Amino acid sequence: MSISEGTIGELRAKGVEVKRLEREYYEIFIGPQHPGSGHMRIIVRLDGDIIVDADPDIGYVHRTMEKLSEGREWIKVTPLVERMTIIDACNVTLPYINAVEKLMDKRPSTRASYLRVLLCEINRIASHLYGFGIFGVFLGHSTAYMWGFGDREVFLELAEILTGTRLTYTYHIPGGVRRDMPQDFPQMARRAVRYMRNRMAEYEKIFLNNPVIVSRLRDVGVISKTRAAELGIVGPTLRGSGVRYDVRLNEPYEVYSELDFEVPVFEEGDALARTLVRMEEIKQSLNIIEQAVDWLEKHRDEPVIAKEDYEKLPKLHKELYEKTGRVKLLPTQISMKVPPGKAVARAEAGRGEIFYYVESDGGVMPYRVRVVTPSARNVIVFKKVVPGHRLMDLPAIYGSIDYFPPEADR
Amino acid sequence: MPPRVAVKNLKKGGGLFEGVKSNIEALIVGIKYFVDPKRMTLLYPKEYPEHRPGYRGFIVLKKDVCISCAACARVCPSAAMKMVRVTEADPREPGKARQKQYPVINYQRCIFCGYCVDVCPVEALYHLPFHDITYESLADMFLTLEAFQKEPLRPVEKEGSPVVYEFDESAGLVKREKKGGA
Amino acid sequence: MMVLETLLYIIAYPPLWQVIVIGLLGSFLTAMIAIWFERKAAARVQRRIGPYWASPRLGGFLNLVADMIRYILQEVIIPRTVDKVPFVLAPVAAFVVSIMPIAFVPLSPYEKFWPVPDMQYSLLIALAITTVPPLLAVIGGWASNNKFAVIGSLRESYVITAYELIFVIAVLSAAPTFLTLNVLHIVEAQSPFMWLAFLNPIAFLAAFLAVLMSTSAFPFEIPESEHEVVAGPYTEYSGILYALNMGGAYVRRFIYAVLISLVFLGGWAPYVPPSEGPLFAIIVPSIIVAVKALIVVLAMSFLRAVYGRYRLDQALDSAWRLVLPLALIGLGWGIALGLIM
Repeated sequence: MSISEGTIGELRAKGVEVKRLEREYYEIFIGPQHPGSGHMRIIVRLDGDIIVDADPDIGYVHRTMEKLSEGREWIKVTPLVERMTIIDACNVTLPYINAVEKLMDKRPSTRASYLRVLLCEINRIASHLYGFGIFGVFLGHSTAYMWGFGDREVFLELAEILTGTRLTYTYHIPGGVRRDMPQDFPQMARRAVRYMRNRMAEYEKIFLNNPVIVSRLRDVGVISKTRAAELGIVGPTLRGSGVRYDVRLNEPYEVYSELDFEVPVFEEGDALARTLVRMEEIKQSLNIIEQAVDWLEKHRDEPVIAKEDYEKLPKLHKELYEKTGRVKLLPTQISMKVPPGKAVARAEAGRGEIFYYVESDGGVMPYRVRVVTPSARNVIVFKKVVPGHRLMDLPAIYGSIDYFPPEADR
Repeated sequence: MPPRVAVKNLKKGGGLFEGVKSNIEALIVGIKYFVDPKRMTLLYPKEYPEHRPGYRGFIVLKKDVCISCAACARVCPSAAMKMVRVTEADPREPGKARQKQYPVINYQRCIFCGYCVDVCPVEALYHLPFHDITYESLADMFLTLEAFQKEPLRPVEKEGSPVVYEFDESAGLVKREKKGGA
Repeated sequence: MMVLETLLYIIAYPPLWQVIVIGLLGSFLTAMIAIWFERKAAARVQRRIGPYWASPRLGGFLNLVADMIRYILQEVIIPRTVDKVPFVLAPVAAFVVSIMPIAFVPLSPYEKFWPVPDMQYSLLIALAITTVPPLLAVIGGWASNNKFAVIGSLRESYVITAYELIFVIAVLSAAPTFLTLNVLHIVEAQSPFMWLAFLNPIAFLAAFLAVLMSTSAFPFEIPESEHEVVAGPYTEYSGILYALNMGGAYVRRFIYAVLISLVFLGGWAPYVPPSEGPLFAIIVPSIIVAVKALIVVLAMSFLRAVYGRYRLDQALDSAWRLVLPLALIGLGWGIALGLIM
């Protein structure tokens, strides 16, 4: 029975203290020190077992990357921004380099483009397997966790052979890449691709078709097509809801328009669909790797940096490139000046579209670098989609959007 | 064929039979690996990985080649490399001393991006193909000019044996004992 | 010879042998073997090695011993906000009560080796005692005064209500088959290979699933589900109290497995113990039962490598809608068997 406003007024006039009783919810803080939170905190309010409100509290790993970029030379920004998503370092630095190239009006050589695509796809697989592993352990499936991380190692090894390091590749430079592919790389890559194709069947059997996992994921965290567009989410999370948006498809960069691959889209929009989008993407990335190494094997005559840059290299540098495939940097590149202007570039990183706005005032350092990362756009899912689910659905939804706190916090 | 969208739908949830079947399939995969694990573990430090020559590991200076151009110190994105001024005997004019600058490195800051090695116009810096050295104190991580010229010893070489990774179609990465030992 | 025989008689003194050696030491050892196996089996499936460096030749088994020593020596932190008496007593009592059912089941056909003289209703009494320890876990979680512990305790209590009935019905389906509540008669009726697991596999499956749920093994590891509720009811526990909680689940699994191996797997069958001499009359048959129970426990441990965890409502749903009817079918089957036999 509710008391009318008038009665309350009367009571107040008599000097009675009147307080509105609100329904109390059970509030738990998941994170920042919690096995299931990552570098963030989710403030969850529970009504029984049902989440009525989930408030993602982000910013625990904010490192002022945009500001720091303004204080360092153009090529030194790459190693900085790749630390934003260290597991997806190639994909997140590529649009920055693309934007700088747009400002400098420089085109990478086709060979460099293929090498970039090759590393990007290797990186995408590694990133998806990482996310898959975390997702697995969120659902208590430790085998998926270990398998994901173990098989990721195969692709990190490939990346290491290509770039010389496992994670922080710093591979792109304006106009090309820093290293050519070793002679024996194609056959190793093909073996890895065939291995991973065989493994996918086992992943399906032990994880994706496992009745326990399917029942945890099906119809959980459903985001309809219009809802997904409204929320502005990106990447596999968006494609799991049936929206056909992939930067590689809608605004092709590098050589993606020449490659033969599919962009998997699922229409259901639940956690299972999002997971399957990622698994299908791994399969497509394997196809792209094969095509890229085939092309690279056939076209060996071109240098891995823009032609005009290559001709400017001193003799010693050229000899070294012929011998080892390493492109030496010129000392002039450290303090290279980029013509004034503004440029934007985007790419499809593992977790979705990553967008850079780069502005130059003609100096040796960027005037402004703005990054919009996929995780920063997907974090809204916690606020808008999680309420109404059960507490045990929280890790399932968290894992299915593959949210990576350092990427969102920058 | 250009990239294209492939719209897919989830498999419908099966009945009891489907559920029992997928349970059994999952168990079979589990038992298969239980019987034949195809292990990936690297028993570090009993085994240690031998990286390929291109690996971006520790950096060593060839002092005789260095021309003191300071490009490495300027390119370092984390300001790990600094130039130091030393007084040394001039090789061209015997008996006379000269002042020259050489780079030194601070491994507290180094991120192994390899820019310094790539920018050096005379190849006075090179990478070692390993990464695993520990220092007892933070102060030790500032290498002096002498230490920067020496190839550091890899402690794991004393107790372990090197392995190289090979790609395999059935087991992914397979470690093989490196031929010829350490 | 006299000395040896006397010694054997002392060891075979029922309370000592059955409760202390098989009950306490056996479940301790089983807990260690089960945890070790769980880690090793999961490691094999996950293409790892698992425990190794502590004793490479023993497959890292000493790692578990080291863990145990660490738990014993670790500081027990009792937070200021907890309700101290139940907080400390609950895990200890739960551990003790977990072992108790073993005193009420026969591990030998001869009365002089039983800890309790009359085994007429042994099955009922043993079943009744197995239902107590989860309540103590709930009390411990409640006394912790921690939000995660409270959620974990609530989950635990939901799960108790779901599995208890299933386990009781599934195990009692042996009664109409052999027309007795005496475990001794059940075991003897199954000798040598008329095991109830073969005769009534449905009840066996239901009992197996109920044990998985009760001891929060995968895929029902819900009360301690790490990614929402940290460690569930045990969030605030540390040191030896935490070890008692965590080990307690394995001990309970072992005791349940002893019940299952007596009721469904023929007890000490196919071995027929002779009446004279403690060695062959009690020690050998009880070890046979313990080994069978161990195998059941290991089979349960293996599931960790294959399954994730169900959501709470799904687990309850499957318990009430799938496993309970399964247990009832098992009971019906048991009655039908009793009518035929």
